[in-house]
Amino acid sequence: MVRARGLIVLTAAALVAFACGSSSGAAGSKGTINIGSDLPVCTVGGQATQNGIQFAVNQKNAAGGVNGYTIQFHGFDDCSQGAYSADVGVENVQKMLGDSKYLGMIGPYNSAVAKAEIPIAAPQHFTMISPSNTNPCLTKEVQAPLPACSYHAADLRAGNANNYWRVVTTDDYQGPAMADYFYKTLNITNTAILDDSTVFGVGIAGAFEAEFKKLGGTVAKHSEYKKDQQGSDFKSILLAFKNAGAKAVYVGGTDDQNICIPRAQMKQLGWDVPFGGGDGIETTDCIDQATGNEPGILATSAGADATQVPAAAQTIADFRKAFPGPNDFGGYTMQAYDAANALMAAIGRAINDANGGTPSREQVRSEMAKTKGFVGVVGTYDFDQNGDTSLKIVSIYQVGGSLSADAVAKSTGVCGSKTAKDACFVWKTQFDFAKA
Amino acid sequence: MTLDAGTSATGALSILNRFRLFRLGGMTVADYGFYVLCGTAIVLLATQAVLGPQTFFQVLDFGVADGAIYALVALGYTMVYGIIELINFAHGDIFTLSAMLGSALLGFFAVSSNSFTVTDLIALAVAFPVVMLFIGGVNVTIERIAYRPLRNAPRVAPLITAIGMSFIIEGIMYLWHGAVTVGFPDLLPHGPGYQTYIGGVFFTFKDVFVIIAAGILVTLLALFINRSKLGKAMRATAQDRDAAQLMGIDINRTISATFFIGAVLAGAGGIIYGLYFNNLDYHLGFRAGLIAFTAAVFGGIGNIPGAALGGLLIGLVQAFSDNYIGAKWTEVVIFGILIGVLVFRPTGLLGMRVPEK
Repeated sequence: MVRARGLIVLTAAALVAFACGSSSGAAGSKGTINIGSDLPVCTVGGQATQNGIQFAVNQKNAAGGVNGYTIQFHGFDDCSQGAYSADVGVENVQKMLGDSKYLGMIGPYNSAVAKAEIPIAAPQHFTMISPSNTNPCLTKEVQAPLPACSYHAADLRAGNANNYWRVVTTDDYQGPAMADYFYKTLNITNTAILDDSTVFGVGIAGAFEAEFKKLGGTVAKHSEYKKDQQGSDFKSILLAFKNAGAKAVYVGGTDDQNICIPRAQMKQLGWDVPFGGGDGIETTDCIDQATGNEPGILATSAGADATQVPAAAQTIADFRKAFPGPNDFGGYTMQAYDAANALMAAIGRAINDANGGTPSREQVRSEMAKTKGFVGVVGTYDFDQNGDTSLKIVSIYQVGGSLSADAVAKSTGVCGSKTAKDACFVWKTQFDFAKA
Repeated sequence: MTLDAGTSATGALSILNRFRLFRLGGMTVADYGFYVLCGTAIVLLATQAVLGPQTFFQVLDFGVADGAIYALVALGYTMVYGIIELINFAHGDIFTLSAMLGSALLGFFAVSSNSFTVTDLIALAVAFPVVMLFIGGVNVTIERIAYRPLRNAPRVAPLITAIGMSFIIEGIMYLWHGAVTVGFPDLLPHGPGYQTYIGGVFFTFKDVFVIIAAGILVTLLALFINRSKLGKAMRATAQDRDAAQLMGIDINRTISATFFIGAVLAGAGGIIYGLYFNNLDYHLGFRAGLIAFTAAVFGGIGNIPGAALGGLLIGLVQAFSDNYIGAKWTEVVIFGILIGVLVFRPTGLLGMRVPEK
């Protein structure tokens, strides 16, 4: 089944390439350069992200290709049994590395896959640009209070020059962004923190606490729980928060640890205060868990929301014409579009380095490393030596309840699946840590 | 050498036992220890009740509601243990399965979470008996397939089949819903009009409903066991299976009835849990079962009022610990108290009903 779909994608890609190649005439006369992607195409998000790359490549070829070369794009699927798999991702990268026509790739989608792929791609100087990885450990060492990384970014590259970049920022800005939002926007000076005792939950809660205290806020109480021991009752914990004088609750954790059940139970205390967390709660499951008390949940996401960037409006409108399906556009589609264009720009410069001939992978990698002031639709990107972008934007989303059908369509599309199908996360604001 | 060590260990044990059972003014040292433990707990809680009565009674309210649900599950453990000395590990999953069945069944009605309608009432009136009877049937089937053929096998064999049934039921629920949260319609009346402050303590209709519903079920069970003919047969079978058989009691039918009634209570508990928390997942029964089983031992396994009391107390300890000590210590506190109680009173709070053989 997966193989059959792969074949269809391949055929479609070949047809597109053929069509573009023939229409752009002399532009593609020098031949073709391949770029690939590695995304969980079986998921709605993965497919929507791949569409962004396809759209960028189609546009580029229609405009004459890259320095006389036609770009041929092939999307690899790293799904196994309906979810991303690092093993499949590694196989895909090996396929690309085995074909000398591939000069770079967009992806992967998931940080765990990147951790497995970078060590294989780095020795071959194979350029990787991720549209969506937010785990800080992939590019840098993190500072306390975040938990130390279980591996080192330098070890993934094993002494080779950096070959990995990403166009979104990292999770270590998520906690501080919500702290800023609580303190500066909502004027909350006293909050309680609940974390789920996982590596992610402890880290994001610690980063939130540090920033909130730095701003001058008070943390009334910081409690932690373990899902296996807690069961479903958080009411006594919440009561302790309320009695300690907290005026808001920040949760560090993910929905699979029941982190949004406390939101539902705040109602049973008659306690109505803001409730915020990281991207681990910007999910359908979180809205479902908060049953009866969905509206108002706040969540961060470590990237800009392209639909909120005025400069991206035209490109998104063009994209929608080319990809009209309801799920064709996703949260990382424009990030993938920018990543693909950054890669093709580097390939263009590398062709010049190769005196107009087909460049080596190292030439593409070294040109990508020199990228400065790349103008994408989401923003203007510089990259540091680790591969991180200068665009340090964290978006804040809030659940709106009882939305109209039109408002649901304009939301992020992350809505309740059970009783509250009209409660969805809606973009609220963003924090730019590059300017702060 | 080995003999020496053995002798001295037995010696130490017997000295310890003699000390434990040393009588002083009519009570043993173990009794004194038990009362000191209870006294300490009461003094600590009374201090909190005086210092911050609002918090104390609020937590008490939460704890009683949770404890009532644990009690309903604990009853199934204690009944089954009382009659065939089997720890039915699948019981927690029976509880979860009934909550999921209830959720699915309520989905067929046009129930409304926003206001309490007649449809909601009809839906609940249908869901409770249907789920309770169905899950009773499931538990009887499990007993027939996985426990009855092993009734005369070594004690550990049915224990393992019970663990197996637990995983099988969890697997079925996983296949059905996956690992995500399963919602349960928020049907009980809630919101303004169904909540009130009494002396600074916030009461909602949900808390009160859970406590009253569980109270009624436990009372009905106690009446059934003590007054009905089948209840008498159960007690007789628990006391001496062979003698009961000689007296003309159908052992298989009595044991099946025990499984049926245990599951009926767990079924009601599952729906009450769903109505109270509105969130389920396939793995819920593992912890709920462990806590309920602990409650049964706490109260004195095999003892029906003991299981109800144990469930209630564990709910209270959990709520007080979450609030006054910290959620990460709650499990330690619960089991610390359990060990303390069992050391001084190995038969549990109300005494174990040991089958006489």
